[in-house]
Amino acid sequence: MKMKWRLIGKIAVLEPIGRFDAHNAPAVAEALTEARNSSLKDAIVNLEQVNFLDSTALATLVQGMKHCRQLGGDLHLCCLQQPVRIIFELTRLDKAFDIYETEAEALHAFAG
Amino acid sequence: MPTSDSGLRVAVVTTHPPGKGSLNEYAFHFVRYLRTKPEVREVVLLADELPAGQRYHFATAEEDCELEEGCGLAPVRVETCWRFNALNNAPRILAAVRQARPDAVLFNVQFASFGSGKVSGALGLTAPALVKLAGYPTIVLLHNIMETVDLKSAGFGANPLMERVIRLSGNIVTRFVLAADLVALTIPKYVEILAGKYRAQNVLLAPHGSFEQASAAPDLDPPPGPLQIMTFGKFGTYKRIETLIEAFRILLARPGSPPLELVIAGTDSPNAAGYLAGLQAQSADLPGIRFTGYVAEEEVPRIFREAAVAVFPYTSTTGSSGVLHQAGSYGKAAVLPKIGDFAEVITEEGYTGEFFEPGNAASLAAAIARVIDDPEHRRALGRQNFIASSGLPIADVVDWYLLHFEELRRSRGGFETRPTKQRGARGGKP
Repeated sequence: MKMKWRLIGKIAVLEPIGRFDAHNAPAVAEALTEARNSSLKDAIVNLEQVNFLDSTALATLVQGMKHCRQLGGDLHLCCLQQPVRIIFELTRLDKAFDIYETEAEALHAFAG
Repeated sequence: MPTSDSGLRVAVVTTHPPGKGSLNEYAFHFVRYLRTKPEVREVVLLADELPAGQRYHFATAEEDCELEEGCGLAPVRVETCWRFNALNNAPRILAAVRQARPDAVLFNVQFASFGSGKVSGALGLTAPALVKLAGYPTIVLLHNIMETVDLKSAGFGANPLMERVIRLSGNIVTRFVLAADLVALTIPKYVEILAGKYRAQNVLLAPHGSFEQASAAPDLDPPPGPLQIMTFGKFGTYKRIETLIEAFRILLARPGSPPLELVIAGTDSPNAAGYLAGLQAQSADLPGIRFTGYVAEEEVPRIFREAAVAVFPYTSTTGSSGVLHQAGSYGKAAVLPKIGDFAEVITEEGYTGEFFEPGNAASLAAAIARVIDDPEHRRALGRQNFIASSGLPIADVVDWYLLHFEELRRSRGGFETRPTKQRGARGGKP
């Protein structure tokens, strides 16, 4: 899995690409940790190019969200493909995360 | 009604060591990690009554710094409020919840948690509905569902008519369980079944999780000495060892067989008292067979580490296997029954093993032989199981439950319990 990450203002935006599972979840966790170490408390994980995620990936996102919230920030998700959305619904973690249709909406939510 | 100041007071209705009821091991690890969460201010264990002379023990605030989890564990208060096979467990549990006034209640149960009798088992499972009706956010972690339980193997349903009656009762009991706020299931298929058959909107998938935190790869080789073929659990209902003992005879009779030992680790199922004693007497002529009896929590690592292979002599499935997760965490190869549901579940979770036909001793002996005769293959199976067990520790699964509790409380207008920077009033970890 490839992953891009960039900074928009003080918000870290991560873009994992491909399968997001136990084998490559550490890369996402590492990027979230790096963002946290850079004193960034808000993050967006753009899942537009993720076609599969497993329970380890979900756990990585939950940990990321917890850490952001511990710093007084949050972790938003956006652009979920249908198979990925189904996994969030199956686990009901769609209720726990703030999930947005577009990255712009996810960004805008931090501004609000 | 629940009341809170800072952090959650979580009640867990469950068995727990030293209690020997089913799911005690799962509860041990769940509570162990629940205590480490900064959102949790207190755990109230609503456990079953212990035999005379036994008591539940949890580290005090002073002692907990010596534990691997470190300082700052949430305290545990134990209330014994139910008894296996009693008919009044549901009202007793409700009374205990009212007394404890938790912010959220988790039931760690399966269909026979509250009794081996049909009536006691069913009546106990009305407790989640009562607790929810009393105003407490309630999640049931249901480890099996009636639709996939082989009632005969599980100790119920002596004849087909009775089985039909029990299935019907099971449907009613399932509806009671579904009256909880949320029902968590460990297998996607179970979620599909309950969502489809009962049109349940409140079911969710929460993976079983592995008991140990991911660590360095364990030694994939057993210690010197006879190769131990080990099975672990509560036996006599759907975990039966007759075929395993027969398979052991076959293995011993092989020309040039390496020194072997069969280790039966565990006790009778609460639904099958006397089962192991009977088999121990019947197999007294067999060299190299050892019945350990109850395995205390501190002895569990040694039992697994000494094993060359872990065998799962199941005749039906009741969901994911905590024992398989444990075997994986110790890097053990597994020999598993070819039961559609079970194979599907463990494959989904990334585990592997050699498979055998349930009830077929020759098939089981051959599967064990494929493992013990080929050290490289044994190590490869153990390595894959270790990787699978490292995937999602139960510590992470506990976080999911806390998120669900938070969401339930938010939807009821309770305050949020998002993690804070500090560990709250009890202080603790840096």
